[in-house]
Amino acid sequence: MRLPRSLQGRLGLTLGVAITVLWVVTASFTAVTVRHEMDEVFDSALQETAQRLLPLAVVEIIGRDNDGVTQRLGAIRDHVEFFTYVVRDAQGRILLRSHSADPAIFPAYDGAGFRQTTTHRLYNDDALQSSIRISVAEPLDHRAEVAREIQIGLGLPLLIVIPIALMAIFLAVQASLGSIRRFRDRLESRSARDLTPIAADDLPSEIAPIATTLNGFLDRLKGAFDAERSFAANAAHELRTPLAGAISQAQRLQSESEDPRTLARAVEIETTLKRLTRLSERLMQLARAEGGRLRLEKAEDLCGVARIVVDDIARGWDPGRVVLKVPQGPVMSDLDRDAFGILCRNLVENALRHGDPSHPIDVELTEGGAFTVSNNGPVVAPEVLKKLTQRFERANAGSDGSGLGLAIVAAIAQRIGSPLALKSPRANSATGFEVTLQLPVETP
Amino acid sequence: MRILLIEDDAVLGAAVRDQIADDGQSVDWVQRLDAANDAMAGVSYDLVLLDLMLPDGRGITFLKALRLRGDVTPVIILTALDQVSDRIEGLNAGADDYLVKPFDLAELSARIGSVARRYTGNPNPIVTHGPLDIDLAARSIHHTGKPIALTAREWALLEAFLGRPGQLMSKAQLEDKLYAFGAEIESNTIEVHVSRLRKKLGAGIIETERGLGYRLGAP
Repeated sequence: MRLPRSLQGRLGLTLGVAITVLWVVTASFTAVTVRHEMDEVFDSALQETAQRLLPLAVVEIIGRDNDGVTQRLGAIRDHVEFFTYVVRDAQGRILLRSHSADPAIFPAYDGAGFRQTTTHRLYNDDALQSSIRISVAEPLDHRAEVAREIQIGLGLPLLIVIPIALMAIFLAVQASLGSIRRFRDRLESRSARDLTPIAADDLPSEIAPIATTLNGFLDRLKGAFDAERSFAANAAHELRTPLAGAISQAQRLQSESEDPRTLARAVEIETTLKRLTRLSERLMQLARAEGGRLRLEKAEDLCGVARIVVDDIARGWDPGRVVLKVPQGPVMSDLDRDAFGILCRNLVENALRHGDPSHPIDVELTEGGAFTVSNNGPVVAPEVLKKLTQRFERANAGSDGSGLGLAIVAAIAQRIGSPLALKSPRANSATGFEVTLQLPVETP
Repeated sequence: MRILLIEDDAVLGAAVRDQIADDGQSVDWVQRLDAANDAMAGVSYDLVLLDLMLPDGRGITFLKALRLRGDVTPVIILTALDQVSDRIEGLNAGADDYLVKPFDLAELSARIGSVARRYTGNPNPIVTHGPLDIDLAARSIHHTGKPIALTAREWALLEAFLGRPGQLMSKAQLEDKLYAFGAEIESNTIEVHVSRLRKKLGAGIIETERGLGYRLGAP
């Protein structure tokens, strides 16, 4: 048999079984001992009765005139005889018997001492060279009844006490485990991004170290997240500033130089530096998407973020190239707005890179948090579509993308628990490409 | 226009300074916030280019203090911080625009022009002045349909006049707009540039108030 998984169940079961067994054993032992003692007392009474009766019987019988006549002693007052007796001579003739003595229950005399038949306990004794013999009988029924009464006396309370004891064990265990249960509930009810320590003051000393370890772990995790955030920010700064300097210098070189060869070199340097910038940016974003904190304690409006990102990207393009559609009211979400910014930027830039330039890119955020970026353009084959979210996978080899954009978006989507739906052709169209994902939003 | 560049990176700072100077604007470049405060106390700038992470403090703090003083000088943030939240913080602190490093110098020039125009009250880059059709964003100018080529200094001078139509500007004010602090200027530089501009655009465009300065003539 396997023990239940719950500590409460385990303690209740083992303690309950142990106590029941212990009590039953104790009660049985008591019953046996009492029975033995009782037999001794009854035997002693039996023996005492015989020894007291015998001299009286001897005097009575010797004083008789006629030999060999059975005298039956009448009852002085009506009563139930537990002890019956017969007095017999050496030939087995009954000389004397108590008023309700049944001669049939007395076996033939075979010497002094205790005897037992199937129905009675007897004590034999004799006097005058065994010429007068007394046998006192006590029905076994009587003893059995007394023993039964004692057993019931022992057993009945047990039947009542054991369930009460089991209940008490159950309640005690439940009360003692209350603090652990509360700890578990607190742990269960907290959100995935809540890294504050869990209150554990009321935990028993056996469990308290676990809570302390857990809180220490949460603290380290929070520290790691914060460090990762500031590292990403610092790394961005440390990388971007020199890259910006180098790119600017390459551009200055282009505007100051007349020599076509120098000009061409400067353009090449600039192109390479820009590619390096893009790649490092995407790698940082990917690290951020995979490792950073994505959900915040506080919800914020995503519409404004979408507007900022789309405005920023669209600035370098013709007006109307990117069309943003957001609801009137705010879309409140606890998604980190920088993460949403990264997601939005990557999808829009992807659409700009691969989409048909003569049609606008549609960016839509609905009240329910569905975020869609779609563009016109050639249909992407289903087998290519499946691979698109893998790293360094480009829809067409000639593209100048880093091959990380969709992988970054997919990483964020996976961590917020929303499937990333890639569709080609786009909805309600024969061509194009569409990406949709469901953002975690707070319903007002 | 007189521009204050606050940027601690020497390589990037130099490139930006040269670019702005090439556009014909005067630029003062400082690498620390305390130097920036000193510069702003002495000179009235038309625009500030502000890096956010500087050796002696955060650019955001500087910007907030500036706005708290009631200073409305246009500010463009140039920063390596590219996150949306950084951008929101910057714009909330009172920046007029936000440019993430690395940026194209041509883009920077365009943004400077756009922010400056917004402050003159006419965000439209196309200006018509008498027979002149001027596109400030594209830096092209036509006289009755014929294109005219202007040097960067001449452009800067014209922009200075267009920015304050009809207003008298002293020689010193114009020097401020065209040359950085400490630059070597000949005493007749402004006269020379004004006379060249007149020659290219037509005599009535810029009027002279003898001994006081110049102003943009009525169209």
